This record gives sequence, C-alpha cells and structure tokens, in this order.
Amino acid sequence: MTNTRIAMVLVVLLALPALLLPAMSLAYIAYKGIPAFSWDFIFGTDPGSGFGVAGGVFAQLLGSLLLALGAVLVAVPFALGTALYYHLLASAVQRHVLMALMNMLQGIPPIVFGLCGLIVFVHLLHWGVSLASGALILAAVILPMLVLNSITALEQIPFEDTEAARSLGLSHASVIARVWLPRAWPGMLTGLLLGMARALSETAPILFTATVFSGVVWPDSIFAPVTSLQTHIFYLSQEGSDPAAIQAAWGSAVVLIMVVAVFALLARALSRHTNRQSGVLSEGADS
Amino acid sequence: MLRLWLTGSAFVSGMTILVVLGFLIQASWPLLQSQGLAFVTESEWYPYEQLYGLAPVLVGSFWSILLALLLALPTGLAAAILAAELCGGRGRSIVRFGMELMAGIPSVVYGLLGLWLLLPLLESRLNLLTGRSLLAAGLLLAVMILPTLMVFSEEAIRTVSREQREMALNLGLNWPVRLWRVVLPQAWSGIRVAILLALGRAMGETVAVMLVVGSLDRLPEPFYNLLQPAQTLTSRIGREMAEAAVGSVHWAALIMCGLVLALVAMAISLLAQRGQRP
Repeated sequence: MTNTRIAMVLVVLLALPALLLPAMSLAYIAYKGIPAFSWDFIFGTDPGSGFGVAGGVFAQLLGSLLLALGAVLVAVPFALGTALYYHLLASAVQRHVLMALMNMLQGIPPIVFGLCGLIVFVHLLHWGVSLASGALILAAVILPMLVLNSITALEQIPFEDTEAARSLGLSHASVIARVWLPRAWPGMLTGLLLGMARALSETAPILFTATVFSGVVWPDSIFAPVTSLQTHIFYLSQEGSDPAAIQAAWGSAVVLIMVVAVFALLARALSRHTNRQSGVLSEGADS
Repeated sequence: MLRLWLTGSAFVSGMTILVVLGFLIQASWPLLQSQGLAFVTESEWYPYEQLYGLAPVLVGSFWSILLALLLALPTGLAAAILAAELCGGRGRSIVRFGMELMAGIPSVVYGLLGLWLLLPLLESRLNLLTGRSLLAAGLLLAVMILPTLMVFSEEAIRTVSREQREMALNLGLNWPVRLWRVVLPQAWSGIRVAILLALGRAMGETVAVMLVVGSLDRLPEPFYNLLQPAQTLTSRIGREMAEAAVGSVHWAALIMCGLVLALVAMAISLLAQRGQRP
C-alpha cells in the first residue's frame, strides 16, 4: 500500500505544474491586460496616435479577422474537395500517400510557409506585403488540419447509409449532397471554427508578408497591407521604454485570447452537441 | 465538374508541400553556389562579410528543444497518468480542459509572458545581466509543448486494453508496478508520437522564442552554457528576413534556415507516422 501511495503522491507532485499553469497564466494575463480596457481601447480607430500605443485595437482586430476569414475561405473548398476525393475516388495507395502528405504538411512550421509565401506571393507575383499574401499563407497553414478533420467527419458516416444510397442508384454528386454533407457538416463546421482559431493565433507567417505596424484601418484592396492583433502585440511588447505600450500589449493579448476563445468554444460546443446527437441516433438504431 | 473539383483540390493539397520545398530549394541555391556545404559547420555569421555559418543556430535550436523536452516530459507524462489512471471522468475533463486552454493561448502571448514575466524573474533569481538566453527559450517552449505532450500521452495511456490491465490486476501487482511494467510499455508507441509532435512544435516555434532568446549569433561558451544570449533557426529568420535584400546570398542563407526546418520537420513527421501504424 505504501508503495502505491508514494507513487501516487509522486505523480501528483510532478503533474502539479500542468494543473496550475493554465489558470495561473490566464489569470496573470487578465490581471495585466484588463486595466488597459476602455471604450476607446476596444473601439478606437485613430491610427495616427503614437503608432498604436494610444489608439484602440479595433483596426488590428479587424485585420486579424480579415486574414483568418480569407484563409478559411480559400482553404475550405480545397479541404472539402480533398476529403471527398479521399473517400470517393482515391485508391488505397492514393489514400496512403495523401494521408502521409497531409500529416507531413501539418508538421511543417508555420514560419516556413511564411518564407515560401514571401518568395512566391510577395516577390514573384508582386502582390507585396498584403492581405492576399497573408490569407493564402494562413490557408496553407490550416489546410492539413481542415482536410484531416473533414476526412474524420466523413468517416463517422455509417457504411450502410452510403451503401443504401448507392444501391438506389444515386450518382456521386447525389451521395455527397443528400447523404454525406447532411450528416458530416457539423463535424466539418467544427473543423472550420478550429481553423479560424488557429489562423487567428499565428503570428510568424504574417509578420513580414501581410502586416504593417500601424496606419491601416480598412485595407483599400486585398493587395494592401493590414494590421493585426498578433503582430500588434509583437511590436508593442518590444517597446520596453514605454509603459503605456506594454499596457496596450497586455490589453491586446486579452482581446486576442477572447476572440480565439470564442471560435474554440463554439467548436467545442458544436462537437459536444453532435457527439450527443449521434450517440442518441446509434442507440436508437441498436434498440 | 465534380470529378474535376475533387481531383483538382486533392492535387493542390498534395502538391503544396512539394511546391513549398521546391521554392525553398530554388531560393537557397545561391548559398550553396557561393559557399558549398561548408556553411553547416561554420560558426561565424556576419552578413556584411559574407559569412553564413549555421552552427550557432543549429546548436541554439538543439539546446532549446532538448531543454524544453527534458522540462516538459516529466510533467506532461505525470499529468497524463493522473488524468487517465487516477482521476474520475470529471477530474479528467478538468485537467484536459486546462490543457486545451493552455494550447489555445497564441504563441505571441507566450512571448509577451516570457518577455515581461519570465525574463525579469530569471534576471533577479539568477543574478544575470540579461535573462535573454537559451534557458529562457527552453522554459518558455516547455510550457508551450506541455499540452501536446499531455493530450497525446493521455490518449495513448487510455488505449491500453482493459484485458491487459485486468490481467495485471489478477496477478496481484500493485498500481506502480502495473503502471511501470504493463501500462507504460503498452502506451509507449503512442507516447513516442507525442514526444515527436512536441519536438516538431518546439522546433518551429518562432515569435515566442524570438522575444526571449536574445538573438545573438554566438556559440554557447562553453558548449553547455545556457545562460547567455543565443539564436535559433526560427529566431534568425524572424529577426533578419525583413532586412535581407531579395536574391542576395544573405536572403538565400535565411531561406536555407527555413529549408533545414522544413526537412527536419518532414523527417519527424515520417517517424511519427511510422509510430502510429503498429
């Protein structure tokens, strides 16, 4: 018995940082950031004042959302198409290769996509530092995650359903539209929301491809640069001599975490909801 | 039409990684042309004098990753064991929710924490002139990879079959022995994947490392000195990419850092996939 007890105490002690760190870091960020909050801080759009130190973060928030939204809009058609190809047309070898490539793509550090985007979009295609470059780079960052998520969502569909649809003589398109998408869309939407959260969290790939320090509220075109919350925090955090800048950085961090959390929690709620529903459905089928 | 869309998007998704590699190789070619392969072991990096030694960043990346892993693995594994073996369903979901929260904090915010919480702490505790060091980078990375390690290890531990556990219980083995001799060896292949994924994450992390590592192109002196400012592959790219002239050898050398990152990441991913297929 004593051995067991000692081992348990040891495990709990070792695990202690993992139990305490999440709450502690969030509490510290909130403690530092919330005093910066005011109406002007969130909704102020005056970009001229002190290079974003005095002004609000509304423009940055807008830029972040535009980049993430652009990335999702670009990536989703490809992700959906790839996942459908995987289930509908791919041979065993193709599936194997596609899976390996997607897993590999997921392991590539985001900064590498940033570099490649810098070469291709910013310089080769002369798009410059722009919303379009950033959105496409972020699309590549979230693509593997969306593909793998959609493949998993489609895998949840009972084999019998597809077989039944096929035996009725439905075409590929009808199987997708009538059987697969109605059952798989919540899972895919969950993936999309997580992709949004992921795109909102990335800083490195957009640092020198999509964003400028300040001065933009609404980009003139998709080939114009934007400002973003992530890079805003990055720049402000290095203004060590100015306490107001650091204060604004902590405030922006709280805003960023809240925006990311909105998407992550929506995804969580949706996946719980669908899990419960499909659980009820399969129980119903069993009885 | 449908077939075209599906085949087209699968082709694009699959080719992305090859296109990325192709452009990186093409853009880093000038470095190979002007320096051969010697740059890998050179320790001097002075763009103004055309010296592009990669040794300091390779050593810096190696130390920061190793440190992060050594610090995070015991805690991550213990938390996984705690959640999978000792807690009930409710405790388990609380621990996991904490990890998800931690994983959800963007890396730039970790950078902010590192810069304005960790560095002052290190400076006052260790009496350093500057806290910017490989130690700071390692500590920050340890926190950042903890969720990856814990979540994947926990899943690996939970997949150990009930029969195996019951068999060990029937043999009268107590919990620590069951854990050490039955559960952990069975879960090892999954834990290995968790470690590899965490490694990849630590290697590719950019902004947080950039803010705390000091960005000084020097080899640690002596080689185990983790308390002086250093540089990693990612922090060098982040610091200098905006300054390098397009098409110059400096530019090519920075792209080469990215190429190294990409190749190592691909190797790690292949290893992890081999681990997933028993």
